[in-house]
Amino acid sequence: MKNIHIKSVADHVRRSPFQALSVVFVLSVSFFVATVLSILVYSSSQVIKYFETRPQVIAFIKGDAKTEEINLLKNKLLRDERVKDVRFVSKEEALEIYKKATSDNPLLSELVSPDIFPASVEFSLTDLSYAEEVIGEVKKEQVVDEIGFTASLGGEAGLTDAVERLRSISWYIRIGGGIFVTLLLTTSFVVLFVIIGMRVSTRRGEIKILDLIGATPSFIRSPIILEALTYSFLGVFIGWISALLLILYSTPMVISYFGEIPVLPSDTSRLLLIFAIILAAELLIGFFLAFTGSVLAVSRIRKKP
Amino acid sequence: MLELISVTKTFGRIKAVEDVSFSIDKGEFVFVTGPSGAGKTTIIKMILRDLLPDSGQILVAGKDITDLPLKQVPFLRQKIGVVFQDFKVLPEKTLRENIEIALAICAVDRSEWKDRVDNVLEITNLTKRQKLFPSQLSGGELQRASLARAVVVNPRIILADEPTGNLDWDTADSIIELFKRINAEGKTIIMATHHNLIIKKYADRLIEINKGRLVNDTKKKKADKKDNTD
Repeated sequence: MKNIHIKSVADHVRRSPFQALSVVFVLSVSFFVATVLSILVYSSSQVIKYFETRPQVIAFIKGDAKTEEINLLKNKLLRDERVKDVRFVSKEEALEIYKKATSDNPLLSELVSPDIFPASVEFSLTDLSYAEEVIGEVKKEQVVDEIGFTASLGGEAGLTDAVERLRSISWYIRIGGGIFVTLLLTTSFVVLFVIIGMRVSTRRGEIKILDLIGATPSFIRSPIILEALTYSFLGVFIGWISALLLILYSTPMVISYFGEIPVLPSDTSRLLLIFAIILAAELLIGFFLAFTGSVLAVSRIRKKP
Repeated sequence: MLELISVTKTFGRIKAVEDVSFSIDKGEFVFVTGPSGAGKTTIIKMILRDLLPDSGQILVAGKDITDLPLKQVPFLRQKIGVVFQDFKVLPEKTLRENIEIALAICAVDRSEWKDRVDNVLEITNLTKRQKLFPSQLSGGELQRASLARAVVVNPRIILADEPTGNLDWDTADSIIELFKRINAEGKTIIMATHHNLIIKKYADRLIEINKGRLVNDTKKKKADKKDNTD
């Protein structure tokens, strides 16, 4: 029975190749854009995550602070749920960092001793919105001399702006991308629905014959749903493979352009895993579009006298 | 096998079938005749549950099909072979595929398909035409294909609605001969026709309909005659 339906689908595609091509093309474009946008959303979230997780706040410790006092502060921060990646940087480590930073001019590092560098506790925040609140609390600690911010926060004055800017970018990419993909998928659904509707309409006589010789509704619907699923899955695969090739081709350039910001995973297996997840989600969406589109198209025709 | 009890069907103000009652036994070959618009096709369609009567009962194998749930209708139709005046073969399928689809609909095991299809192709003398599409076949061949499709699922009843309507006499004659052969194998056949030559030559039992009413049933007459002589 299955072979009969598969053969019917193959016959219908062969006999009206341009309708099939148009629907597969529209679906391919939609799923190509959806895949690229998914990667863009992933990349933007990686950028935000990068800025959120890199050490953002440096609490410089007073020179006379005791180890126990420093440990107390460190433990307090470790227990704080708003704070993560707490790291103590000793005077010696600070000198090493300085040496590394001035490696092109060794004379500068030879002139300094570890004593002039304050020890510090560096930490990042789970969410940038906690920044002002946490910094205010840390400032009040007796062992803390002063607080420093990394460039991403733009200093205390620009803190709110930086947070807002990152949030806006993230929001635009996620919401804007989501709306765009939804619009494209809706267009695909309409095109699929119209093409399948046209197919059903031209096969109305055939449906009536099948109905009269005892075909059940599911028997009548099967080749139509199968045809829609074929278009949909073809669209998903073509769109997805095109996007995969594009991203694989551009990954080295993107990685070298963004430097240490991990917009795309440098590990190929991780990148492929992300693509596999996107493919699974798209197949699910494709199945939903094809199934509902074809069932609606069939029911619309069968209702007519 | 089949019984119509006071069946009435109207379309708006037009009474297509009015208070028609008759019964058909297993293995009978019955001609339903009458002028165009008499109600023959309406009766055939009601037996096939393509139309529902306004009143009355239609019993198929003792079961009233007028109150059959819609979901059960396909299964009723699977037990009834049907041959149409306009053949109603699937234009995009070969003759063999047209026959096979009836087996697929009835969920006949695929291992049986070849033998069954070959058998009906042989009976209908279409073996050499099996790979052709309907557009490549003549009217007579199409009607035989339609009959082959109806017979292949081994139905209890075969309904034929003007199966010779589009055919010349010789072809029509050969088609009716084929129906006779199938009837001889024990199938119940109900054929709607207004082809007088066919009726004269083949009718054992004739049900005559005019303006929706049953005006003559030869079986009833024979029974009445028998009662009178007794």
